[in-house]
Amino acid sequence: MDNTIIKVKELTKTYRVPVRAEGLGASLKSLLKPTYSEVTAVQSISFEIAQGEMVGLIGPNGAGKTTTLKMLAGLLHPTSGQVSVAGYEPWQRQPEYLKRISMVMGNKSQMLWDIPPLDSFRVLGEIYSVPKNEFERNLEELVQLLEMKDLLTKPVRNLSLGERMKCELTASLLHKPSVLFLDEPTLGLDVSMQLRLRRFLADYNRSSGTTVILTSHYMADVMALCPRVILIHHGKLLHDGELGSLARRMMPFKILRITLGQESIPENGVPQLPDSVEVLEAESNLLNLRVPRGDASAITAKLLETLNVVDLIIEDPSIEAVIDQVYSEGAQ
Amino acid sequence: MRRETFVSSRGGWALIRSTWLSWMQYRSFFFILAFGWMIPPLIYLLVWSTAAGEGSISGMTRGAFVAYYLILILVNQITYAQTNWTVGDLIRYGQINKVLLRPIPPLYDALSSEIAGKVVYLVFVVPILVILAFVLKPELDLTLINGLSFLPALIFAWALRFFWGYWLALLAFWATRADALLALQDSLVFLLAGQVAPVALLPGALKTLAVILPFRYMVAFPVEVITGQLTRSEMLTGFAIQCAWMIAAVILYALLWRFGLKRYSAVGG
Repeated sequence: MDNTIIKVKELTKTYRVPVRAEGLGASLKSLLKPTYSEVTAVQSISFEIAQGEMVGLIGPNGAGKTTTLKMLAGLLHPTSGQVSVAGYEPWQRQPEYLKRISMVMGNKSQMLWDIPPLDSFRVLGEIYSVPKNEFERNLEELVQLLEMKDLLTKPVRNLSLGERMKCELTASLLHKPSVLFLDEPTLGLDVSMQLRLRRFLADYNRSSGTTVILTSHYMADVMALCPRVILIHHGKLLHDGELGSLARRMMPFKILRITLGQESIPENGVPQLPDSVEVLEAESNLLNLRVPRGDASAITAKLLETLNVVDLIIEDPSIEAVIDQVYSEGAQ
Repeated sequence: MRRETFVSSRGGWALIRSTWLSWMQYRSFFFILAFGWMIPPLIYLLVWSTAAGEGSISGMTRGAFVAYYLILILVNQITYAQTNWTVGDLIRYGQINKVLLRPIPPLYDALSSEIAGKVVYLVFVVPILVILAFVLKPELDLTLINGLSFLPALIFAWALRFFWGYWLALLAFWATRADALLALQDSLVFLLAGQVAPVALLPGALKTLAVILPFRYMVAFPVEVITGQLTRSEMLTGFAIQCAWMIAAVILYALLWRFGLKRYSAVGG
């Protein structure tokens, strides 16, 4: 990739965690002679991201997503491995580097609580030394895209969570960063606000060419926004590619939803089904089957032949089901 | 320290303005704080000026005590580094990430709230001191040399108190409740920095301690300078000790910040 903006090679992060047994005696002992255990949060992961890509970083709680993101942003020093973002080593936190990135954390705010957002924005404009007219232009564009003109002059503490997230996004984009790190940006937002923010992020990514790396627990975010996902589990990279291909790999099944005519399912069940087919639900005239991906068309044809089918839907298992399986099994 | 420290003054001023704006929302809270800080020296003002009566104690008359304590109240307000108290929280709750991601040095954040805070406090304190001065009638023999020396003594006192508290607060990188040390610093300032009594009136050993340790130079020293309590050589020695402690505090601050960040970025926030 020529236009690679982020290069991560064998990135590893090990935390030293103090171990302390229960009780006063143990805590006094640990004061004198602390014992530590090593926890590997991220284990030798490698990937490259091109300028303008929008990549979802997914994984269960504690998988190492935020640790990875913090290492990319320069907040954490890796234990080993290399990271280059826009040509910089992030943890040196050179001002030129910091001016090219931005990080939004769903649970941390960079707005000043007691003054209107507009004042905070102006301060950020100064901190990032954005030229005056450029600042006004960027601000106007963001305000329009996020439909937040009337929020600009209200104190931040009077804004709702969703409105505050709009402000966070504006604040993080005023200096037109090349790379935007989003850690759970839709945390706690209602469905329609989530939709609106998603639409904004997609539009903004398309129009500005900003590279976006996003972590989220809402699969809808990731499905709607990220053509590419990187799945981390127990600190290891399990998947790097489309979400769909992850689903195909993890769950080689299709779901058949069949509605029969007047007559319901025969008393003795559905005959002539191979062993690989699992009946998920069979009630009056509804039938849900889980069939191996490769056999789906053959089985469908057979069912159409033998049963009086009025309606038939073939679908992939829901992405939530896939993710649940991956998260809970750890994906072999 | 990085070269950019001195380049990004635009951002620094903007930070000061915004901090000031947001603090003006809490005027009354800060007025109450400032009032609280005024009370102990005000009590000792009354104690000592009453004790002096019509005579004098160690050469200080009633009017001299009034002048000493009114100036001390002002100096105490100006040098009190309330920012130090928030540094620990910033580190503990990971809010420091936000500061670290900005392309300006983190010190700007503390300095901006320092300056913003001073403005808010002084708006409250100065009028009160003026009224007290009218009522209590201080006596002050102000010489040009003392007046001119007061300013650097005051600025160094602020810098010393600020950086001293800052390096203590930065211990939060290692220990969770490092601000207990700030409370200890406040007590030592109360005892040794001319609040309970002017340093000249402290008993022998305590006085020696006060002269050697950094705390006198955070508050009492500029007051002693302007009220003419010091001989020329005492003044020069005082400046030397003050500067030495100030440099030590800045070095400690820089070291702790560097190693603290290293640790922070190793263990995560």
